[in-house]
Amino acid sequence: MIYLVAAAERRSADQLPDEPARLRRDFRRFNLPVQLALAAATDVLPAAEDPASMAVVSLAPCQNGSPELYRWAEAAIAAGSAGRFGATRMNPTHTLHVIDNLALSAFAIAYGTDGYCLGVGGAPGQAWSGLEIICNRLADGREREALLMAGDQAAVADATGSRGVALLFSARRRPYVALGRPVEFVAIEHRRRPAPQPVAAHAAAGLCDLLGALALRGGGPIAYEVPAEQTDGIDQVTVLLRVA
Amino acid sequence: MVVTGCGAVSAVGATSAAFWQALLMGRSGIARLPRLVAAQLPVTVGGEVVAVPLDRADRDVVLANRAIDEALGVARLERSAVGFIWATGLDTYQEGDRGPVFRAAGSCFAALAHPFGEPRRMVAAACAAGTQAIGEAYWHVRAGHVDACVAGGSSCMLSPFYIIGFAALQALAADDGDDPSSACRPFDRRRHGFAVSDGAGGLVLESLEFARRRGAPVLAEIAGFGMSQDRYDLNRPPEDGSGAERCLRRAVEDAGLLPREVDAVNAHATGTRVGDLAEAAAIRRFFGNAWTSKPVSSLKGAIGHAMAAAGALEAVAAVETCRTGVVPPTVNLGEPDDGCELCHVIGRPRHDDVRTVLSASFGMGGQNAAVLFRRLP
Repeated sequence: MIYLVAAAERRSADQLPDEPARLRRDFRRFNLPVQLALAAATDVLPAAEDPASMAVVSLAPCQNGSPELYRWAEAAIAAGSAGRFGATRMNPTHTLHVIDNLALSAFAIAYGTDGYCLGVGGAPGQAWSGLEIICNRLADGREREALLMAGDQAAVADATGSRGVALLFSARRRPYVALGRPVEFVAIEHRRRPAPQPVAAHAAAGLCDLLGALALRGGGPIAYEVPAEQTDGIDQVTVLLRVA
Repeated sequence: MVVTGCGAVSAVGATSAAFWQALLMGRSGIARLPRLVAAQLPVTVGGEVVAVPLDRADRDVVLANRAIDEALGVARLERSAVGFIWATGLDTYQEGDRGPVFRAAGSCFAALAHPFGEPRRMVAAACAAGTQAIGEAYWHVRAGHVDACVAGGSSCMLSPFYIIGFAALQALAADDGDDPSSACRPFDRRRHGFAVSDGAGGLVLESLEFARRRGAPVLAEIAGFGMSQDRYDLNRPPEDGSGAERCLRRAVEDAGLLPREVDAVNAHATGTRVGDLAEAAAIRRFFGNAWTSKPVSSLKGAIGHAMAAAGALEAVAAVETCRTGVVPPTVNLGEPDDGCELCHVIGRPRHDDVRTVLSASFGMGGQNAAVLFRRLP
């Protein structure tokens, strides 16, 4: 049995708790998708029993980088067309903005996490892979708790419209903070589509929509069919839940 | 759990056989690259894969598919019959007519994944990604979720963007002499960073039962997998190598073995000052007093650092070591540095009837992964 314990969505990374101090100190080095994912994670962690031993799955942004990095790339390409590529210099902090497991590493450093940690890449539909990995691990009894976090940005040159999300799961029957009732994740079903569908790469958006659908539903079983554009385009994905 | 197919595309060869022969010969694929010189970059050496033209827009996909095709061909399996757990490196930019064109690593994965069965998972773990992908596949097949899986990684990051980016972190080996092939020197006293390279490596993993039922060739067993987090710093590991050592230990514990039962280590060792020191410390801690007799080699002097592909290419070499018993030398290692003392393989391959090899990757940010390969009795 896998239960959703807490979830948070962030569109701003302005307000962070004072602790852990290490996270506050490093925070400004990160690009916005990573900041939003981490900020959302800090929102759900008060409900966690042991952050150091939980499984953590972090979804890489579907578009990594940052506006600062994009502006640098523009300047570098302009210099390159004039044969002076090497004349450009990069702020070392901006190099971090392309690292795909940055949120995971920052989280582990801040919270001392040394259990199962996996970075899942930013290809279309991978959010459901992350969710499935967590469900499998908790169901197999490998961990008691798990965190899934993700951050998106709308475009690499312009970070407006970005958001982050975090979901905390437990193998123990606990109420979902937002509803005050247990929400059980029963299964994630895949069925191959007859033909590929167009998709929109995302990390956080699909999980945010799932949480939104959950908030609108009463008790009982739910078969949440993931919109085609939020899958990998190959499979139809259905998340089966039960609200007590 | 067994490996029934391997594929490799690297700076020293476009097949796993060519790759292995070059490693045994101690040949380096690192060279001074005219395109980097012409661009006046701060670093002009790298490990380029010449088998795939540079001007192909889908070069990342072609490179990966070569390794995947080879591995599946050896295993005699079709894509539709297996899962796919793969790392495609980091996002990058390409030059476009109207400014930078963003090239997401996820788009490469999506192009590769379509023909495969379930699961199709993309791993993002920086330099540990290839090894992590193999470990994920190992767990997945072992749990019985799927019969067989292709796992590994590919990377096309030998671009001006990453050269400048990693140069800013002072992580790259400069071309400082008449012999650019010696730029990357793992564990050596004169080491000064890594050489970026392109490449792809893939394994086919399946249960022994499934392999025997199909009459598939069994190349090696995967006996264990371990991972850890340094929990220390985004840019450097702890000097004592404690995070890496936990990872090595967990891989061996997963296999139900003891450190002394590991015959050799395929090291991550990229040639950076702090990384190699920490890794050497980790390996010594892992083996205890036995470290003096456990051969260690790094491939980075030969093929450079292929990022998401690095661990997968090293896994291919580890499988070959299990099959043949031979440990390739660490190219460009002449005089081990103080603190890097290990049972190094220097100058020529070591014929030791090695049967159990630990292949380790230690990623930026402190994410560590190790796979234990063993010759099947």
